[in-house]
Amino acid sequence: MAAQAKYVVIDPARGQSALRTTNRKLTLAPRNRHDWADDDDLEETTQSELPPPQKISNKDGSTTVIEYRYNEDGKKVKTTRRIRLITHRETVSPRVAERKQWAKFGASAKDGQGPAPDTTSVGENIIFRPSTNWRKDAKDETNDPNAQAMKDKLKDKKVKCRICNGEHFTARCPYKDTMAPIGEAGAAGDVAAGMPDEGPAGAPAAGGAGAGKKGSYVPPALRGGAGAGAGERMGGAGGKYGERDDLATLRVTNVSEMAEENELRDMFERFGRVTRVFLAKDRDTGLAKGFAFISFADRSDAVKACQKMDGYGFKHLILRVEFAKKAA
Amino acid sequence: MRPILLSGHERALTQVKYNADGDLIFSTAKDQIICAWFSHNGERLGTYAGHVGAIWTVDVDPTTTLLASGSADNTIKLWDVKSGKCLMTWEFPTAVKRVEFNEDGTKLLGVTEKRMGHLGTIVVLDIKVDVNAQQNEEKAMTIVCEESKATVAGWSYLSKYIIAGHEDGSVSQYDAKTGDQLANYSIHELNTPVTDLQWAPDRTYFITASKDKTAKIITANDLEVLKTFVADTPLNSATITPKKDFVILGGGQAAMDVTRTSARQGKFEARFYHKIFEEEIGRVRGHFGPLNTVAADPTGKGYCSGGEDGYVRVHHFDKGYFDFMYEVERERANRLRQEAEQAQKQEQKQQQ
Repeated sequence: MAAQAKYVVIDPARGQSALRTTNRKLTLAPRNRHDWADDDDLEETTQSELPPPQKISNKDGSTTVIEYRYNEDGKKVKTTRRIRLITHRETVSPRVAERKQWAKFGASAKDGQGPAPDTTSVGENIIFRPSTNWRKDAKDETNDPNAQAMKDKLKDKKVKCRICNGEHFTARCPYKDTMAPIGEAGAAGDVAAGMPDEGPAGAPAAGGAGAGKKGSYVPPALRGGAGAGAGERMGGAGGKYGERDDLATLRVTNVSEMAEENELRDMFERFGRVTRVFLAKDRDTGLAKGFAFISFADRSDAVKACQKMDGYGFKHLILRVEFAKKAA
Repeated sequence: MRPILLSGHERALTQVKYNADGDLIFSTAKDQIICAWFSHNGERLGTYAGHVGAIWTVDVDPTTTLLASGSADNTIKLWDVKSGKCLMTWEFPTAVKRVEFNEDGTKLLGVTEKRMGHLGTIVVLDIKVDVNAQQNEEKAMTIVCEESKATVAGWSYLSKYIIAGHEDGSVSQYDAKTGDQLANYSIHELNTPVTDLQWAPDRTYFITASKDKTAKIITANDLEVLKTFVADTPLNSATITPKKDFVILGGGQAAMDVTRTSARQGKFEARFYHKIFEEEIGRVRGHFGPLNTVAADPTGKGYCSGGEDGYVRVHHFDKGYFDFMYEVERERANRLRQEAEQAQKQEQKQQQ
């Protein structure tokens, strides 16, 4: 003879679901961590202006339960849950069936039927699929395509100093004290945008300056290689857009912290049409970082400006102007 | 699969155990309470209160009538599974680290700690599998472990041997009737304690877990090491899954290092190995502390693990688990099925 035990689980694919328990039912916590056990307490303590809970049966057999409650701030909260009940019938031995009817005792003596929410909860779904090469599978997971693309780009990239572009770390640079570090943000943007800069000395292409730091979050626009970052780097000095601009782009260093982009534009517009002014600014403080790029429409204007403006005093500092080095 | 989290304990779990039918789970922790749970939905049946020390171990007799527990309060207690009443208490000079019923539930062994001048012992108690019976207060037998204390012990098939794992990494075999030591072999690396010993369903072989990062399957008859499973972390527990030829290992960085390691590095995952091929086939994450104990459902439908984090996680396997087979296993299954079909056809022909 076999007795039948009945219990209920929820279709995990539905995700957002909770379940009022009756006899021996499995309760799944809803995704918003709302505990139905708290409902009753709250309803008792707050004035009952709440609309009555609604139950709507959906066509696909699930039920939508809409409940109202007050949260800690006294605000009315509407909770909508979609519940699907699936009854699993399982044949168990009479011994097991008998045990299912046992009265609870000890610390659980006062618990109602079904799992008590304070001792039993349901964890997040775990995908467990035994596999002979699970180790390889797991590794593939960690190497998301983004990180992989990054690695490929950095594969043949060597250590490069931000001051002199030599093959050492910036901290070890012999010119550390004599030269100001340049293009910090530019170099970072470089890496993020995947524009290797192998130039022997000088200008980092400041295309996506300040776009991101090494190894950090890369915005979608910059993912997947140089071509994709067009929006961010439009008119920049790098990538395929760089050809024209590089020839007519000046790098201005030793710019005052207080400088503004339009001030620079005014200064350089005297020599010809300026197509772009980029002033590197600190993301947090908003102060200028001390370098800027000025692109001219015409290279001859740029040559003129370079000659005239190098050594020009601007806000108590002497500007240094040179041609930006082309990104490799 | 969605694991069911049982949070009935406030401190680290020490042992979890299924009953013979796999419908109940008993869990012990260092918080002095034993909990009984329904395995299918995680509902708590009750608690067994009475110990006044950390509880190290629990076992249930094959008929799910009696529950035995061993505690750091130097006692073994016998409980009525159904009501939670304490039926009997045996006192010992030191803490009890492991209890186990034999196959018919008439004998109970207990492993006592070596402390305060007392040597570690394995005691055997006679049990009457009846809630109302007066239990025998006297110990039926005491085995003294003079060399290295026993950390775990269990009954072999037919209660023929008592097998014990020791603190120095050795495993020994005792005659269960006389208590004589029949064999003692260094199985695990020297001075790495054996942390768990669990039996195959027929009790002819068992699996040991050790801090030396390996688990081994050993025969009960001559303590021959059949299989070795190598992990990358100290192991606290190992169990053999029925129905499928897998073993589950649990371990992780020692508890005192937990705060210095992330969950990923800590390797707080249950590791599944193929029992025959000794290859790791998957991991189940979830705990945020080392796994102190794992137990497989005797029906083969799931397993549960208890962690240093105070949670018991009960898992019911998905279809993918049952479908998984090695290529050779699948071929063999196919061949056997074909042979069976042919045999059937021949039989039918003969009948005609």
